[in-house]
Amino acid sequence: MANAFVAAFEILSFGAIIVLIVLGLGIIASMMGIFNFAQGEFVLLGAYITYLAYAKGLPIWAGMVAAPFVVGALGFVLEALIIRRFYAAPIVAMLGTYALGLIIRESVRGLIGGFYLTVPEPIGGSIDIGAMHISAWRFTIIVITLLVMGGCYLLLSRTSFGLRVRATLENPSLARASGISTPLIYGATFAFGAALAGLAGALIVPVFSLFADLGLRFLIQGFVAVMVGGVGSFIGPVAGAGVIGTLSAALPWVMAPVVADVLVFVLAIVFIKFRPQGLIAGKGV
Amino acid sequence: MLKPMSVVRQAIAADADDDMDGAMAEGAAAGQPAAGRRVLPIVEGVVLLAALLAPLVLQDYLTVFATRVIILALFALSFDLVWGYAGIMSFGQALFFGSAGYGVALLARDLDITNILLVLPAGTIIGLTFALLLGGFLLLGRHPSSVIFVSLGTLTGSYAADRLARGWYYLGGQNGIPSIAPMSLGTYEFTEGPAFYYLVLGILVAVYLLCRFLVRSQFGLALAGLRENEQRIAFFGYKAQHLKAIIFTIGGGVAGLAGSLYAFHEGFVWPNMVGVVVSTQVVLYVLFGGSGTLIGAVIGAVIVEGVSFWLSDNYRDIWPIILGLLLLLVILFRPLGLISFVLGERERVGSFGAKVKEKRNAP
Repeated sequence: MANAFVAAFEILSFGAIIVLIVLGLGIIASMMGIFNFAQGEFVLLGAYITYLAYAKGLPIWAGMVAAPFVVGALGFVLEALIIRRFYAAPIVAMLGTYALGLIIRESVRGLIGGFYLTVPEPIGGSIDIGAMHISAWRFTIIVITLLVMGGCYLLLSRTSFGLRVRATLENPSLARASGISTPLIYGATFAFGAALAGLAGALIVPVFSLFADLGLRFLIQGFVAVMVGGVGSFIGPVAGAGVIGTLSAALPWVMAPVVADVLVFVLAIVFIKFRPQGLIAGKGV
Repeated sequence: MLKPMSVVRQAIAADADDDMDGAMAEGAAAGQPAAGRRVLPIVEGVVLLAALLAPLVLQDYLTVFATRVIILALFALSFDLVWGYAGIMSFGQALFFGSAGYGVALLARDLDITNILLVLPAGTIIGLTFALLLGGFLLLGRHPSSVIFVSLGTLTGSYAADRLARGWYYLGGQNGIPSIAPMSLGTYEFTEGPAFYYLVLGILVAVYLLCRFLVRSQFGLALAGLRENEQRIAFFGYKAQHLKAIIFTIGGGVAGLAGSLYAFHEGFVWPNMVGVVVSTQVVLYVLFGGSGTLIGAVIGAVIVEGVSFWLSDNYRDIWPIILGLLLLLVILFRPLGLISFVLGERERVGSFGAKVKEKRNAP
């Protein structure tokens, strides 16, 4: 019983991490049609900023709060300077963002060297339920993920900003004709997606420690999750992330980790092949 | 881009045959190639000459390096066929490169087969088979697959293979398979050095000529049409998906050939060889050199590897950053790659039109 509970918690917590990482990726892919290869590096940057705050002696949570804003601002600048030129061609966008990611990743690698740097958890210790102990920080991540998910949903479905984003997604020329500044909306959406990645990086760095390939590790999983969930909506990628995250955390409990690792990808690709619209089809929220 | 031009050419040819006076036809003929139809053969000739002379002037350890570059150029060629000509973004080309490398490494390790006449065809077939399976799955089917799906599918395939190779004890796990016996022909063993270099160069030239023939054939013309406008080619009655699957498979075969040569040259294989790192590296070569021209892929591989080798002594840490910046600049401002500095757009696209001209001059 206790074992099963711990396993369930592990699965849930990993699922939450994947959802957190995919949120930004999914918003950019769905709302802008760009598969952002630099997203993993935005995660890395968020982690790096948190580490920096810790290394300078600031409280860790200060770094975690700063990370999304800094990464979001960077995303806004990059969108205005570079990403903007790629909207017409999705493949070129992939290559361009890959180049951006390469620059960021190697810069961070230069800054931290080839080390694995650890950042302590701002909320340490464990929560005890009877005889079972679960990590307090992982529990916090789950809670924050749920809050961020709810916040994003409300932002996109209930606010006028969300309405503009969705209008721009569905029919850019009509949106422009209605007086919505689509370039600004694209910039804000990209910045928002980047900020979410920064937040994800900041939150997961105590769990995974900081190393240059931190983002890369999640990037492909994230892409697969977005495709499984369905591009075009907010809910789709989140659902996909839930499925992929849960599967990749759960399967190693029942089979050899190597097989499980590969099996998740194979299953996902086969699923997408036969259901290209994903779990949840359709545009909107 | 391509279609209107050849239409124009045919129209000119038809006019010349019918009733237009010879002066005008000659005017068109003289005006057309004035931009320099002959640049491409010159570039190819210079590269070949440089490659032939390289081992005579290079030191031994540089010849070994040059051999590796030639093998990577062969690999780049395979990606260029797939992306530059057919417009299929294969982000997992290393899957075919690396699986062939692993395949021949296993042949050498477990079965003691190192005969060049067996291992190279075996590597090619492994590459072909994997490409046929993956390409067939991703590209064929009732609904045409989206470009995004194909690129992410190949990327995922490569990533999954990387994970598998890392975790599978039989394949050596993280360390890969070390100390592969050298390739042999009878009692002769191909070890690193000029002999291996010329062998690889000969293979590259042969494959290059085959590819050149292929992309200038009717098949290549249809492929280029696919790249420019897939829907239009489908409306013309071509089976676009089949064409794509065929070229993807051929590309996999070439990558497999390159991979088996690489495995024997380096003497070991390791998981990165099937993974995302090498997959993206080959994309870099082709984008730098210029996709859609075969020689561009070769030049790109030589430049990227050469500069990287040259800089790695002093600037090892910042070289990847420079590479990323350069790549970004190329994508933004020179989408056709470095080759487009010397090669006009017309020559890149219009090489198919040459035959029309000959026909017109013949009678």
